[in-house]
Amino acid sequence: MKIGLEVHVALPTETKLFCSCSTNADEPNTSICPVCLGFPGSKPMLNDAALKSALTVAKALHCKINDNTYFLRKVYFYPDLPKSYQITQLDGAIGHGGYVDISKKRIRIRRVQLEEDPAKIIREDEYSLLDFNRSGIPLNEIVTEPDIETEEELREFVNELRSILYYAGVDINKEMKTDLNISLGEERVEIKNVTGIKNLVDAERFEVKRQGELISRNQKIPKETRAYNSETLSTISSREKESDEEYGFIYEPDLASYPTGDIVIPEVVIASDVARQLSSKYGLNEATVKELVMFDRHALGLVQYGLKRSNANRVINAIELLKRHGNITISDESFGKMLSYLDKGLLLNEDAIKSLQENRQVEIEKNTVSTKEIDKAILGIVAQRQDLVREYKTNSKAFNFIVGMLLKKYKVNPKYISERLAEVLKDKA
Amino acid sequence: MKGGIEEFLKTEKFEGYYEELIVELEKLNSKLHIFSNINKGLSTGLPFSVKDNICVKDVVSTASSQMLNGYTPPFNATAIERLPKEEFGFIGKTKMDEFGFGTFGINCKDHPLNPFDDRYVTGGSSAGSAVATAVLKHHISIAESTGGSISCPAAFCGIIGFTPTYGLVSRYGLIDYASSLDKIGVMGRSSADIRYVFDKIKGSDRYDTTCVDHPISKESRKKLVIIDQLMAGVDEEIASSFDRTIGKLQNIGYYVEHKSIPFIEKTIPAYYIASMAEASTNLAKFTGFKYGLKINDFSKGYNDFFTEARNNFGLEAKRRIVLGTFVRSSSVKSKYYEKALRLRHMMINALGVILKDGFIISPTMPIKTPTVKEAEDFDPVKEYSIDSITVPPNFAGLPHISFPSDYIKGMPVGTQIVANHFNDYALLDFVERWESQFEYRFKYNVGAL
Ligand SMILES: [Zn+2]
Repeated sequence: MKIGLEVHVALPTETKLFCSCSTNADEPNTSICPVCLGFPGSKPMLNDAALKSALTVAKALHCKINDNTYFLRKVYFYPDLPKSYQITQLDGAIGHGGYVDISKKRIRIRRVQLEEDPAKIIREDEYSLLDFNRSGIPLNEIVTEPDIETEEELREFVNELRSILYYAGVDINKEMKTDLNISLGEERVEIKNVTGIKNLVDAERFEVKRQGELISRNQKIPKETRAYNSETLSTISSREKESDEEYGFIYEPDLASYPTGDIVIPEVVIASDVARQLSSKYGLNEATVKELVMFDRHALGLVQYGLKRSNANRVINAIELLKRHGNITISDESFGKMLSYLDKGLLLNEDAIKSLQENRQVEIEKNTVSTKEIDKAILGIVAQRQDLVREYKTNSKAFNFIVGMLLKKYKVNPKYISERLAEVLKDKA
Repeated sequence: MKGGIEEFLKTEKFEGYYEELIVELEKLNSKLHIFSNINKGLSTGLPFSVKDNICVKDVVSTASSQMLNGYTPPFNATAIERLPKEEFGFIGKTKMDEFGFGTFGINCKDHPLNPFDDRYVTGGSSAGSAVATAVLKHHISIAESTGGSISCPAAFCGIIGFTPTYGLVSRYGLIDYASSLDKIGVMGRSSADIRYVFDKIKGSDRYDTTCVDHPISKESRKKLVIIDQLMAGVDEEIASSFDRTIGKLQNIGYYVEHKSIPFIEKTIPAYYIASMAEASTNLAKFTGFKYGLKINDFSKGYNDFFTEARNNFGLEAKRRIVLGTFVRSSSVKSKYYEKALRLRHMMINALGVILKDGFIISPTMPIKTPTVKEAEDFDPVKEYSIDSITVPPNFAGLPHISFPSDYIKGMPVGTQIVANHFNDYALLDFVERWESQFEYRFKYNVGAL
């Protein structure tokens, strides 16, 4: 099986790709102008911020950056396309020949290109409505080679790509639209416009099954374009043959060719690389570290800061502790303090954590408790409540009851308490 | 040159000036079909007209196409915006070949007629702009050329048509024909007037990426180069008139050299391929539901809806859309569109060598002004071939001017002079020298002091 993707994501700019309309507007058709409506006489002007942002993504995906980047017109008629052509790229795209590493292989990136989003179509029963607020929003299209071979690789690639996009400043909570090219046999089937990640995986799964069945029945898989229906979890033929697609590309004569050499492109952190390096260097669980840092630049900052000061496991525990308290917002300095308390064998209650997050003094007497004291308390309860100790193996409520008793008194990290309790009970049993 | 725009603005008090002018102009307009609309509210300033494919805020701008019926742009073209209100008054939109598609000015409803003799064509596509310039004593017109749309009507109507270097005047607000070839220029009765207006409208514009702030030189040339291939199909009377013009120029210190560019004959097909390819994309936006002509029957699917709307294009527009779509389709693109672009580079290089130390000179048009009847009988391929002399400088983005150089049986004849990129002022200087020993003739002088 071969899977290739064309992923479209909106770039994080204040204004649209070719005009100065805002990219943030709620009321339909309020962020529009002659340019993004394609009025006769209007001309596009390239948004420098979008160019820079697209370059950042391309570089993060290890692409070779073209010295000069230029645009093309892709002509087709559709009500959402104001000029009846989309300004996009192909040769002369922002970057090409990059890659994304996933755990067992390298997925090659063919091309990263910059293009304008069409308007949004809102379909009603009898008619459709158009919202041109979306017309001209800058999109990055990321085209992979057909290197993905399993559903697992698909999931991993998308996760990895999203992490890179996140660190490149892209808002990954915005809708991601993907064209999925998938072939089990000779011919390539393209499933257009799949929104979100769940749908992408479901569409892939359905298509694998469908094409697999055709093959097992010795039937030909026709080269075609299909659409995914998220209600029926299936794909249906769009009844247009790929070979019929004729976009009549020409160079966009209203725009120049843009040199990229003088644009300072920021370095983008590849969080999974960092997680891998830290894990092997400090003997941490790679999955745990990834979970923490893939989509959280603050967490990554804390990890890197903490590892210079304390034991690796303690750093990870501290971040997980913060997470359990709702958010991990904390200054480096307070985080350093937090680590030093933990280093001393003190457990922090909610007030202590809150104080740290708000850069206030921690009242040691009131808000911390030593691990030694917890151990003593555990042993005390175990001695007093033999009934619960007998029950704990068959009745999880008994175990939770003890944890609850201790938490009520100490209000500290429940993870520590349950781990210690489990150890003690194991010894007693 | 004395008596130019500044002189006019200084001496004219505008008491009753426009009342009289409008009456006369409307009378002429019903005879010669110059304007698609006339602004009757004008009270001061030099009247200027605008080719109908250039947007004037809140004024219907249709590029003389049914497809744009009623299109009222909410913005001014940059060139219009830059004309100071206290000096210039907008007098009206001038008729043209639909979207600029035409050599004779007859591809529109009630097309303009030649002011010297209304049996003859005006030339196109800036037809109305040329006629307005030929009938109004004090006036300039903001026109546009893609492949000769300023030179040709300037020659047939006996006025000066200046097409600047591509990229010197912003195209923002121009309803595109072929964006990489379209140039906004100026038509007038003297080089001084044209220079005055050019200086106001030129220069970079954030709304048009292809527009630049490049220094403009005035490097004069004594050498005038005649490219033999361009003279090949020239009408005999035009050729001998051209010889007389050359003679006059030799008398004031110019000398002539002949050069050959064999592949220049390929310019016409290459130009038409490149311009139609772009035009077919620029015209794709006209689908009958956002501006201009609106179809209000939404009962059909989108494909049927826009197909029906696009029936409202004129014949020549349809022809160029179909051919333009064909030449950029993937199976033949390398054979046509891409080859045309390569030839364009060859042309720029070949002409650039010649223009290093000379101007290129030629008759503007290879034929005498045809009558409307004659022009209607031209088949498209023959009509395209009539552009053989005006297309090369346009295709290469070179500045050029057509100026009146002779009159044959009362009809004006134009000569075209071409300079190197950004040597625009040298051309205006050249025409100024010509004017010092040649007298332009006009049949009408509406608004004369
Ligand atoms: Zn806009």
